[in-house]
Amino acid sequence: WKKDEFRNCKQTPFCHRARSRSPRSCSLVAADVAIHDGDLTAKLVSKNGEPFENPLILKLSVYKGGILRVRVDEDPNLGPPKKRFEVPDVVLGEFESSKLWLSRVSDEGVSSVVYLSSDLEAVVRHDPFEVYVRRKGGERVLSMNSNGLFDFEQLRMKKEGEDWSESFRSHTDSRPYGPQSISFDVSFYGADFVYGIPEHATALALSPTRGPGVEFSEPYRLFNLDVFEYLHDSPFGIYGSIPLMLSHGKGSGTNGFFWLNAAEMQIDVLGKGWDAEDGIALPSSQERIDTHWMSEAGIVDAFFFLGPEPKDVVQQYTSVTGRPSMPQHFATAYHQCRWNYRDEEDVGNVDSKFDEFDIPYDVLWLDIEHTNGKRYFTWDSALFPHPEEMQKKLADKGRHMVTIVDPHIKRDDDYYIHKEATNNGYYVKDSSGKDYDGWCWPGSSSYLDVLNPEIRSWWADKFSLQNYAGSTPSLYIWNDMNEPSVFNGPEVTMPRDALHHGGVEHRELHNAYGYYFHMATADGLLKRGNGNDRPFVLSRAFFPGSQRYGAIWTGDNTAEWEHLRVSVPMVLTLGLTGITFAGADVGGFFGNPDTELLVRWYQLGAYYPFFRAHAHHDTKRREPWLFGDRNTELMRDAIRTRYILLPYFYTLFREANTTGVPVMRPLWMEFPADEATFKNDEAFMVGNSILVQGIYTAGAKHASVYLPGGQSWYDMKTGVAYKGGVTHNLGVSDDSIPAFQKAGTIIPRKDRFRRSSTQMVNDPYTLVIALDGSLEAEGELYVDDGKSFEFGQGAYIHRRFSFTKGQLTSTNIAAPGSGKTFSSNCIIDRIILLGLSSGNKSALVEPGNIKLTIEPGPLNLHARSSSKALTIRRPNVRIADDWTIKIL
Amino acid sequence: SSPRGFLGIPPQDLEYFKSDVIKCRDGSNKFTKAQLNDDFCDCADGTDEPGTSACPVGKFYCQNAGHVPLLIFSSRVNDGICDCCDGSDEYDSGVNCPNTCWEAGKVAREKLKKKIATYQEGVSKRKQEIEQAKLAITKDEAELSKLKKEEEILKEIVEQLRDRKEQIEKAEEKERLEKEKEEKKKKESEEKINEEQKQSTEGPVNDHHETIGELDEHSHEQKIAESKDEPAVADTDDIAEHAADDHGTAKVEADISHDTEGSASPEHEGEQDKDVNTEGLSKEELGRLVASRWTGENTEQQPKEVSEENEEKHEENPKVDDNSHDEEYSGYSSGMDEENHKYDEDEMEEGDMDDEIDQNDHVDSGTYDAPYSEDHDDFSDTISNSPSWLDKIQRTARNILQAVNVFRSPVDTSDAERVRKEYDESNAKLSKLRSRISSLTQKLKHDFGPDKEFYSFYDCCFEYKENKYTYKVCPFKQASQMEGHSTTRLGNWDKFEDSYKVMLFSNGDRCWNGPDRSLKVRLRCGLKNELADVDEPSRCEYVAVLSTPALCHEEKLKELQHKLDLLNSEQPRQHEEL
Repeated sequence: WKKDEFRNCKQTPFCHRARSRSPRSCSLVAADVAIHDGDLTAKLVSKNGEPFENPLILKLSVYKGGILRVRVDEDPNLGPPKKRFEVPDVVLGEFESSKLWLSRVSDEGVSSVVYLSSDLEAVVRHDPFEVYVRRKGGERVLSMNSNGLFDFEQLRMKKEGEDWSESFRSHTDSRPYGPQSISFDVSFYGADFVYGIPEHATALALSPTRGPGVEFSEPYRLFNLDVFEYLHDSPFGIYGSIPLMLSHGKGSGTNGFFWLNAAEMQIDVLGKGWDAEDGIALPSSQERIDTHWMSEAGIVDAFFFLGPEPKDVVQQYTSVTGRPSMPQHFATAYHQCRWNYRDEEDVGNVDSKFDEFDIPYDVLWLDIEHTNGKRYFTWDSALFPHPEEMQKKLADKGRHMVTIVDPHIKRDDDYYIHKEATNNGYYVKDSSGKDYDGWCWPGSSSYLDVLNPEIRSWWADKFSLQNYAGSTPSLYIWNDMNEPSVFNGPEVTMPRDALHHGGVEHRELHNAYGYYFHMATADGLLKRGNGNDRPFVLSRAFFPGSQRYGAIWTGDNTAEWEHLRVSVPMVLTLGLTGITFAGADVGGFFGNPDTELLVRWYQLGAYYPFFRAHAHHDTKRREPWLFGDRNTELMRDAIRTRYILLPYFYTLFREANTTGVPVMRPLWMEFPADEATFKNDEAFMVGNSILVQGIYTAGAKHASVYLPGGQSWYDMKTGVAYKGGVTHNLGVSDDSIPAFQKAGTIIPRKDRFRRSSTQMVNDPYTLVIALDGSLEAEGELYVDDGKSFEFGQGAYIHRRFSFTKGQLTSTNIAAPGSGKTFSSNCIIDRIILLGLSSGNKSALVEPGNIKLTIEPGPLNLHARSSSKALTIRRPNVRIADDWTIKIL
Repeated sequence: SSPRGFLGIPPQDLEYFKSDVIKCRDGSNKFTKAQLNDDFCDCADGTDEPGTSACPVGKFYCQNAGHVPLLIFSSRVNDGICDCCDGSDEYDSGVNCPNTCWEAGKVAREKLKKKIATYQEGVSKRKQEIEQAKLAITKDEAELSKLKKEEEILKEIVEQLRDRKEQIEKAEEKERLEKEKEEKKKKESEEKINEEQKQSTEGPVNDHHETIGELDEHSHEQKIAESKDEPAVADTDDIAEHAADDHGTAKVEADISHDTEGSASPEHEGEQDKDVNTEGLSKEELGRLVASRWTGENTEQQPKEVSEENEEKHEENPKVDDNSHDEEYSGYSSGMDEENHKYDEDEMEEGDMDDEIDQNDHVDSGTYDAPYSEDHDDFSDTISNSPSWLDKIQRTARNILQAVNVFRSPVDTSDAERVRKEYDESNAKLSKLRSRISSLTQKLKHDFGPDKEFYSFYDCCFEYKENKYTYKVCPFKQASQMEGHSTTRLGNWDKFEDSYKVMLFSNGDRCWNGPDRSLKVRLRCGLKNELADVDEPSRCEYVAVLSTPALCHEEKLKELQHKLDLLNSEQPRQHEEL
């Protein structure tokens, strides 16, 4: 962490200016309120003329489901020097077309009101200008500019002698358009906490950055940066940015505010009483959390998501920016990575060691050293002389490979990518119009201007099997360094005055650069498979919408307990903001984890939606078999835990794919009324059924675990039931971290172990039914071919299992298909019943009228687990069929 | 019973499954015959499902007639991948696995035969080796005791000579002082005259210089005298130091460079980096500097603050060009030929068919039979080839001592010279003698294995060339990696590990941002001492393989022969089946 090499708010003029503004300094008035093209429009005029020379255009749109969109921009008719940047390709066309055509505005004199939903209205107060949403009863929900911090610096022509340039360290930003920042305040009413706005290594519930009791804190920064050895607790911005904040309160439910803007952003969470010295009364007596949003450029394009449930907000947000794509099935299993598996022999050895120790894994990764001198799409011919054969060897065991492809292109005239990019003018330009030349792994490098769709399409073609020599269909891709990382650039990234397609300045686009690169790469894999193969692309940088293109990991973390701990809020926050397919490097990238930490990391990482071990090349080897028999066993168990639960995980990925609701969830998402969960980021839910408590200290003998809700919870290792709504102090051993199944749920498992998930396709299922107080339970299973897009046309199995009145029923919940089907002969060969009295001795399967005995059997098939549970042996019902099993 | 019957059960275990109700081996449960191999796991330990994949921890037995029987993980049963050469593991997966056991068995037998042949020759070589080692040890011990005796005698002579020398020097000193006094007087009177005539500044200055010179000399002599006065016991420390010096000048250097590295600990470097004022750097320098944080490598143009680099860093990366990062990195590995080898091999089970013998021809590998220290070479010649040298010295010394009269005044300068010369010579001899004693003592202290089979390693270094690097391993001393004129120490001799199957060298040069380098040399049976397969599986943790007859154990040979017998005994029966 090189603090001095990054700007703080004070060194960032727009941030410093905005932060120094006092409440109520905005003098804008909404005038000329009208309906135009189905939107409410108004002019924002300054009462005293300054500092707004020209009126701004305010536009309010309402979309299906009651989503409110507020846009503020300069008036194009008044001849601004340049069109301000609006981020394209993020908001779905489908969403745009769900706009409700406003036809009526109620005029309440001081404000104009439009209908949002049956119980919500959007209000534009005229003087001073303010936008808010209220319930029909008048209670406020979410508002903008209630504290009068709104500020909008309009583009101007430079006057004689004016110098707009800014310097930081040895870098100078020419700022040809002068200051153009935007800032405003947003208030969340009735909120107990706010969450979101990744990516920061910090707690799940965001602490105030200003206000009484806050000594000094930087605002939460959103600026995609490659930060060497990032700290585990800091508001500093790292690899990705999603300007979506969620609020949650016991009384108010959940709301969200999203600002679609790709420039550097800084966000203050204002502690209660931050404006007290001002002496001005709040416009409402409601409790609330105020926040201050500041961005260097762009326009106001903000979305109000009004819940009211936590899952509703994620659903609303992903209806705008897209649902997470359905991953390849193999990608939901375990990934083995290291910088670097050095040569084919190394790859072969690691692969065979997994088999020797009977540890499953699905994907082996190659970092930058596999290339010929960091020229992506090439191979080091000495280290990897037979890449196709190597991939085939893995593929023969059902395994896959991932290679890295970064956005920096080596400036080497003999490198075909560089030649084509140079000849076609495909590089980002510096402020003087020449190809920007920065420094990254290959040395002197240029960067593709992926904002341009033509360039993205050209790039995508590079992934075809013909163009990418040495690639095979089992090869997938990893995008690193796409913030972009520029070693000799300001703050290790690209200068803000670099120029993109259409004259867009890098400052306006910065946070979305990695997103476009990720998009182009995913499109490449899509093209490669003729649209039939789901892409798998891991990216480090991200932006709203990245969930459509692949997985995200939390970058270069460190092998320390505190980094293990912070990985949970980091992955949870990504899930809350749409990116569910996320994880942290298991083991920690930098440094050598001690063995206990490594084992604990595997035990926790097995529940990350994206589960990959990775390590820096200076670290000792740390494959799971290198730490003695006992630890090998522990890590193997952890990995196997994931494989057993793959059917459950895959079902959750499908849920995310259809609703946006993440696989890994904060407790409050499942228990929104339970205040004790609001700040808890040491435990988390996987789906609605499993609660996992991480162990974050060495030598832990006990763990304090809060089990929310009114139902009991079954220890997944022992089957022992624990009361809900209570904090339990539990003994902890080294063989697993606490994990519980919620009473009232049914979890599908596959208990057989294989080399990789590929060989599990035909294996039978186990259902674990955890009955609640009224002896009921419910769960789902989603299955498809695991790789194609045919599920989009109905080629999948989706069942609901419900247990009620002593009878388990499987029903079809698949939406009516459109031409394609998916079939499976898989059966359920074991049903485990938790919470059933042992008086029950038999079960009757229908159709077939087959009578089976119920007897105690192993709860887990792990060697060391001796726990037993009532088991229905070999019901052998097909997952594809309707059936019932009656307990007699 | 189920249609799969006794599938997957090793013949010797069949009896266990004959009863109607069978216990899980771990006692957790019991099951009926019908539940045996019914594709449903009743015993968490897999007892009831030897022939299916239903239990996660089970093992499946394939007979592999014609080859060796195999126990595979139950996770491999019907997974679509052929694991048993007889194909018996894929009876229900729709995959057709041809029976390849006869072929595979043939290959295995051939390999085993070859290996046995190597062992047979190796075992006798090892015996010779041990015989030679015994002789060499006896010889070295004899030499040592002889040297110790000689040392006694020589020490006495040296002491006598020193006494005589000191007496002479005392006398000389006395004479000199008197002479000086006289001259001074003379000078003073002259000066008086001179001063009166004309002023001269040079005279006194010269005089002054001389005085200082004399004083210095004097004090120097005193020091030497003092040290010589120390009792003989105190010399042991000296000897140890000498010894280190003698066969290990490198060691001393090593200690020094180690010290410098100590100050360049990672934290320290980090701070250096932090302190670097990156604003003064060119764009390229900045790019390299920031890249180096991740790679832990040197930057080409070093900022001033970092330029005070320790040697090790230069060595590690003596020439950094445009591609420094990747070329340096790939350098050590890019020469890895397919057949040239697996660092993981050393973790393989001993029983593995072909791991133990080095069957490759390592053209690059070379053995150094030249003794390690040239110094010691010289000296041993002097000592052993002329047994009468001590007599000669004794005689000469006696002559001198008798001939030189200390009490004659003035001191005869040629006598004084003779005494001094003789003293210097015998003293030098003595210290050489002592260093030889200490190096021999050091050598004999080492652990040369249960049969002293590694005795000859003491004076050997083994070399292996790979691309631009030459690796040099000197057992009991140190290991290094050389590139051109620069040398990186991979470690100093530490110990044998894993019951003499591994030589460990540790505390080598520190890696930037990493640990001290270390090297593990895995030993395997081979007919020649040959180093091969140097690799760096983790950064700065090297491994290598050394084949040597010292590892060709007779018991192992018997084991292999037994294995072959087993294989052959299955052969005829198998053949009929085919």
